[in-house]
Amino acid sequence: MMVRVLCFLLMVFGAAPVLAQNGPLRIEITEGVIEPLPFAVPDLVPETAGSAEMGAQLARVIAADLTGTGLFRELPASAFISQVSDFGAPVQYADWKAINAQALVTGAVSVQGNQVTVKFRLYDVFSGTELGDGLQFAGTTDGWRRIAHKVADAVYSRITGEGGYFDSRVVFVSETGPKAERRKRLAIMDYDGANVQYLTGSEAIVLAPRFSANGDRVLYTSYETGFPRIYVLDVGSVQRRVLESQQGTMSFAPRFAPDGQTVVYSVSQGSNTDIYSMRVSTGQATRLTNAPSIETAPSFSPDGSQIVFESDRSGSQQLYVMPASGGEARRISFGEGRYGTPVWSPRGDLIAFTKQSKGRFHIGVMRNDGSEERLLTASFLDEGPTWSPNGRVIMFARETQGAAGRSSLYSVDITGRNLRPVRTPEGGSDPSWGPLQP
Amino acid sequence: MGLQAVNTGQVISGIGHAGLIGWVLFGGAFQAEPLPFEATDVSVISSEAFEALLTTGPQPDTATDVALPVAPEVDPDPVATPTPDPVVEAEPPQIAPQPEPETVPDTPEPLVQPVPEIVETAPVPPQPPEIAALVPEIAPRPVPRPSDRVAPEAVAPPEPEAAPDPVEQDAVSADEGTEIPAEEQEATAPEEAATEIVTEAEEPAGAPTTSLRPPSRRPTPPATQTAETPAPSDTTATAVNDALREALSGGEDDIPAGPPLSAGEKDALRVAVSSCWNVGSLSSEALLTTVVVGFDMTREGRPVGPSMRMVSSTGGSASAANQAYEAARRAIIRCTGDGYPLPIEKYGQWREIEITFNPERMRIK
Repeated sequence: MMVRVLCFLLMVFGAAPVLAQNGPLRIEITEGVIEPLPFAVPDLVPETAGSAEMGAQLARVIAADLTGTGLFRELPASAFISQVSDFGAPVQYADWKAINAQALVTGAVSVQGNQVTVKFRLYDVFSGTELGDGLQFAGTTDGWRRIAHKVADAVYSRITGEGGYFDSRVVFVSETGPKAERRKRLAIMDYDGANVQYLTGSEAIVLAPRFSANGDRVLYTSYETGFPRIYVLDVGSVQRRVLESQQGTMSFAPRFAPDGQTVVYSVSQGSNTDIYSMRVSTGQATRLTNAPSIETAPSFSPDGSQIVFESDRSGSQQLYVMPASGGEARRISFGEGRYGTPVWSPRGDLIAFTKQSKGRFHIGVMRNDGSEERLLTASFLDEGPTWSPNGRVIMFARETQGAAGRSSLYSVDITGRNLRPVRTPEGGSDPSWGPLQP
Repeated sequence: MGLQAVNTGQVISGIGHAGLIGWVLFGGAFQAEPLPFEATDVSVISSEAFEALLTTGPQPDTATDVALPVAPEVDPDPVATPTPDPVVEAEPPQIAPQPEPETVPDTPEPLVQPVPEIVETAPVPPQPPEIAALVPEIAPRPVPRPSDRVAPEAVAPPEPEAAPDPVEQDAVSADEGTEIPAEEQEATAPEEAATEIVTEAEEPAGAPTTSLRPPSRRPTPPATQTAETPAPSDTTATAVNDALREALSGGEDDIPAGPPLSAGEKDALRVAVSSCWNVGSLSSEALLTTVVVGFDMTREGRPVGPSMRMVSSTGGSASAANQAYEAARRAIIRCTGDGYPLPIEKYGQWREIEITFNPERMRIK
């Protein structure tokens, strides 16, 4: 017996060297960590007199952009071991490794009169390599924040692999006063709440502004005639005109098609509401739905071939998808509660929506076919989602409870993480995120 | 007359009937009922026959029979020990016969307590068998290893080996008698070791080359140790050996293959890298991309930076694959620290590594 055991052991251990692998050692890793990537942005090196302050401000905005995504974590300047005083000097990787900075952004700024020039480089500290080539942006001193956003977009894009969204603007309804006497006006701002500008006065109620695909125009609904009507506003000139509509009808919930030439909207006649499309150039309207129920809140798919909208034709408010030219619609939402305000993601893979269930409101996303529904938020009142240009972030309006309740803007990552308020001077609702600026 | 005749007839018949009834009641009837003895007897016999068959041979029959006589025997003998006897009868058949003969045939006599004693001694022998199992072939010869050190100095007295062993022990102990157990065997071994000691120098001599790797991997210690020992005897030979050893250890050709990495060793590497694999900043598309990163490793367990490359990628565009690769590369480099915990004796097994980074479980749904 012992002999057999010994023989077996010899076979096992003796054969081990023979079984040694020939190729490289291969292992598979399926789980990692999800945590913000530590980065450092020293103040941009001033290359002209008086540009030091600008360099510091630029660095702050770049850092705020990246940190605001929830994907990055800024290392404080107090932790820096080495200082960047020369944009062209080699990077001391060891010093940045020591503080665990995985990404390093260095830059230089020069101000000459009204012109600002900013150049930057991005380094992968632990690899000891530069990520991409250095870039340079030039603009006016008034637009220095845009330059900072541009730099942050480039950094974000190089590290994450997806487009940025910092150099973009949001049009929304700015709200002041108590709920009973709330004053609303159209406003436009940078994505981070800076540079707010008002597009309309507060003498009439305005609702649901919607950017065009290229950001040059805004559709919105105004009650200035006492009746809801759709207006088209040119963002550059702030000129507006009313969209043609039939007498005796209420038009609302407009949205541009991706090509910017067509508008879809809802028309309410009596107790029935249906969806129409209209060529902006000719004013010719086409009825897309014809049902006794309420169909509204249409939104195009990115390729313009389909429209998602809400309807109560099944007895409760649900989401449906139909061809852009109208026709048979298929229901895509089947969960409990009511679904509304669907918005197609710029990527085309998800649809964001507002859901009311069990007395609470949620912002959620689902696949185009209604599968994989995920609720990202929950509160007394969350509504009106809008997508960032890269389809990674959703902005929406949240209203607090009570007579003194205030409506304000929030953003959340599509993972449900990084819920944070968007700072605006006044309350805000109905946000519409525009495209990246050229 | 007629009445008397009738009476007599009746009397006779009555007597006859009474006798018949009496015979029936007290005679054959009671004796006939116990007939069912067949069933009882058969059942008893068959069950014990079973036991008898199981134990061995015909004795089981006697054992059942003996069970009855044993009791009577107890009565006449010592009064105080009647109860232990039946107990003893029950125990021996279960334990005593089988365990004792198997384990310790040498000590059969002690019946009651020897069993625990044998159990105590038994565990002692199992230890040597384990060692013998691992080094069965080497065991007889390798014993002399310690004698190698002794050998150079003991080379002189090798011949008087066969003489008095105990006396030689004194001589050996006088040299470096710190080693206790195998001294007597060392006396015989030194001859063989002495003839080969010069060339063996411990490491090349042993058949198990792999087991001798550990000392060679130690960079500085071996040099100092050999430098100390050769000083008294052969400085040139050891110096040559040292030079060879250093050359071999530093050369690329001497890569200890060793056995494949164990699952635990692989897991250690996997855990170390995964703890730095941060996918939080990856795009959705990059999270759909699986990349295989290949790289070379130094003996210190550090990845060779320039050797790092993307072997392959699946599931995403080239841009997404590049982002996924960058994150994977950062993970490998960041968690290097002082070197990944990999066994140097198996360096040949992990000199080249390919890690598949599969973010399937980390995806944003």
